[in-house]
Amino acid sequence: MHGRSVVVTGLGAVSSLGGDLRSTWDGLVAGRCGIGPITLFDASGFRTKLAAEVKTLPTIASGRLRRRLSRTDVIGLAAAREALADSGLILDREDPARIGVVLGGGVSGLLDSENYYRDLLAKGPRRCRPTRALNHPPDQTTDRIAEMWGLLGPRATITTACSSSATSLGYAADLIRHGFADIVVTGGADTFARLTHGGFNALRAVDPEPCKPFDRRRKGLTIGEAAGILVFEEEERACRRGARIRARFLGYGVTSDGHHMTQPEPSGEAGARTIAAALLSAGLNPEDVDYVNAHGTATPQNDPAETAALKRSLGERARRIPVSSIKSMLGHCLCAAGAIEAVATVLTVETDIVPPTIHYEEPDPECDLDVVPNQSRETSVRVALSSSFAFGGNSTVVAFGEYR
Amino acid sequence: MTSLPRLVITGSGAVTALGRDLASTALGLAEGRSAVAPVYPDGQAPRGASPAARIASFTTEPELPRAKARRLDRGSLFAVVAARQCLADAGWEMAGREERTGILLGTGSAGAGPLTEFERQMAVESPESASPFLFPYTVANAPASVVALELVIKGPNVTVIQKDPAAFNALFYGRMMLADGRADALLVGAADEWSLTYHQAYEHLRVTRSEGREGFVLGEGAGVVLVEPEESARARGARTDVRLAGLATRPAPCSPHERRAAPDELAETIRAALEEAGASPREVGLVHLSRNGFPLVDEAEEEALRLVFGERSPRTAAVKLLIGENPFAGATQLALAAAALRSGDGLRAILVNAFGAGGNFFSAFLSRQ
Repeated sequence: MHGRSVVVTGLGAVSSLGGDLRSTWDGLVAGRCGIGPITLFDASGFRTKLAAEVKTLPTIASGRLRRRLSRTDVIGLAAAREALADSGLILDREDPARIGVVLGGGVSGLLDSENYYRDLLAKGPRRCRPTRALNHPPDQTTDRIAEMWGLLGPRATITTACSSSATSLGYAADLIRHGFADIVVTGGADTFARLTHGGFNALRAVDPEPCKPFDRRRKGLTIGEAAGILVFEEEERACRRGARIRARFLGYGVTSDGHHMTQPEPSGEAGARTIAAALLSAGLNPEDVDYVNAHGTATPQNDPAETAALKRSLGERARRIPVSSIKSMLGHCLCAAGAIEAVATVLTVETDIVPPTIHYEEPDPECDLDVVPNQSRETSVRVALSSSFAFGGNSTVVAFGEYR
Repeated sequence: MTSLPRLVITGSGAVTALGRDLASTALGLAEGRSAVAPVYPDGQAPRGASPAARIASFTTEPELPRAKARRLDRGSLFAVVAARQCLADAGWEMAGREERTGILLGTGSAGAGPLTEFERQMAVESPESASPFLFPYTVANAPASVVALELVIKGPNVTVIQKDPAAFNALFYGRMMLADGRADALLVGAADEWSLTYHQAYEHLRVTRSEGREGFVLGEGAGVVLVEPEESARARGARTDVRLAGLATRPAPCSPHERRAAPDELAETIRAALEEAGASPREVGLVHLSRNGFPLVDEAEEEALRLVFGERSPRTAAVKLLIGENPFAGATQLALAAAALRSGDGLRAILVNAFGAGGNFFSAFLSRQ
């Protein structure tokens, strides 16, 4: 990428493995599974009854404001608070007009909206509060973060289904590279809802057991919820203020499959184009890539298509490097998947620890990659990709590099 | 700031409640026709009921065969029709350019219809009975993705949600993409469908127009423009006379649904767009207002114009009062502005404002060269 360089100076996370970055990362490294029985609504009528829910909501506000916040707002704000603290920024000393907020989102506060729909159907319009329907649009969390920390730079919310928050990283980096901002709070948050569970069930895309990416026995995904927030900063100013730089954002590719609304393009051609676009943007060759944090949804269609895409784009290198899916532990966090996986990718680049793909027992010849089965691994990772392939053919791949 | 390439708008398309293309929409506006009509049947309107600008009867043909249209959500239908019109207007041949063409749409309500129906099926019938064919269209990125599938677009495909100015936000992102060579041309705009659920929510918030209450009116439709770097547009023989010369955002901290604006904040947004274009206020021949009937922001915009232009304010157009509010309306204003500049009726420059809820403010400056 040309223009100014972008580095990562802060991280925050809330996931089914824990309410902060440390517990989430420790869980990933230990290969712990965050998947369990659904508690947020009555799932008895569904074929599948598992999800990777956030167990305890962080405390982020009280009183009237707390009542107005959706579940997504709460975890998004908590992860942003942690990421900003992690960055060491003293916001009072910064120009708020130079700090942007770009998140990915989609499901957002839909659970609140669903409860409203149900009240509406059961009790009629006079007995329920229609404004709960407005918790659904995902730009709420973006506006809330800007409001809470008084950030006045460019603001946007990307919604490209399961690649939303990966794409948001690209927009955020572009704002810095082109000089529209010096710092951008980016990533995303998304939570569980009946619609997403019901929708993927209707598509027969949910595994009744915890998902098993790249395994021959895989039957589909498990839905999760998470917030992953990254503080992107222009490199020179980060250095000047003595910030701890966790990684470099090298570039990204964003493309359209042009194939199908819900099915990935099976030959891997479309996915390979996105990976190639990311490499081009980052100025990398296939040989430079040391690790891929895969989309790895565990659907019968995604995993072979992604394997084919990696082989097409990286050639022989695809077989020699670790490729893991942390969805085996966190579930598919939908519009926040790209963000939480980017957080993990940054930590991999920083610590040289690759989180595993758990629940892996039977290799699938169509997914013949080194999927880091069941146990994390220490290996040198200078450059890592994180891929997101979404509904509607919305594909995004981001590249991070170690900071030296 | 890194230098952005000179960008031109080479095509426009729109579907609104005033017409199924840009020309009929422009004609309806010129005649002062309003598409705003009651939502509830006679005698059944609740207290505080608001009207809306809905598209009553709509055929997708010739742009999209009826058989295909049946399975798509309304936002996607409007987007496909507007996008095809836009590409025809621009003379953009897709064959051989699929990977170099992208789409960035804004939206505020796409997917609301299928989502509500899916929820109804799950709640009323059974959790497992909801239609798998409905689910893909419950996502807000459906319109952009359906356009990408129908038109075989393989470049960037992004949907932005950020209140009323979502199309401007998409444009903001898109011009960086063009600067970075991620595509040769981008369809940029917005698509929305009217939703009774959102309508009732806004009625409850008392922000929409009603008897004895000022406020905005929700609308639906799509507006799209084709944006290209001037150099490559010229190389393919396209008309390059309409330039996107300035685009600025100056957000204010504000609760997500709060609609408030200070005149100096809005004036700063307008000045930033003019400054980027290297233009003086005197050059502006027309302002497409953000004005949508919500008094607090409308009055702030009026005062902001006074601050920027003094007492000699340029001509203004308040399109949203006639076609309704939602991100598609801002996109339609961009399309109308580009078409007006191309028509050569003496206008040299148009300012388009989009001052939305949650402190999301944008201004764009389009000029004829």
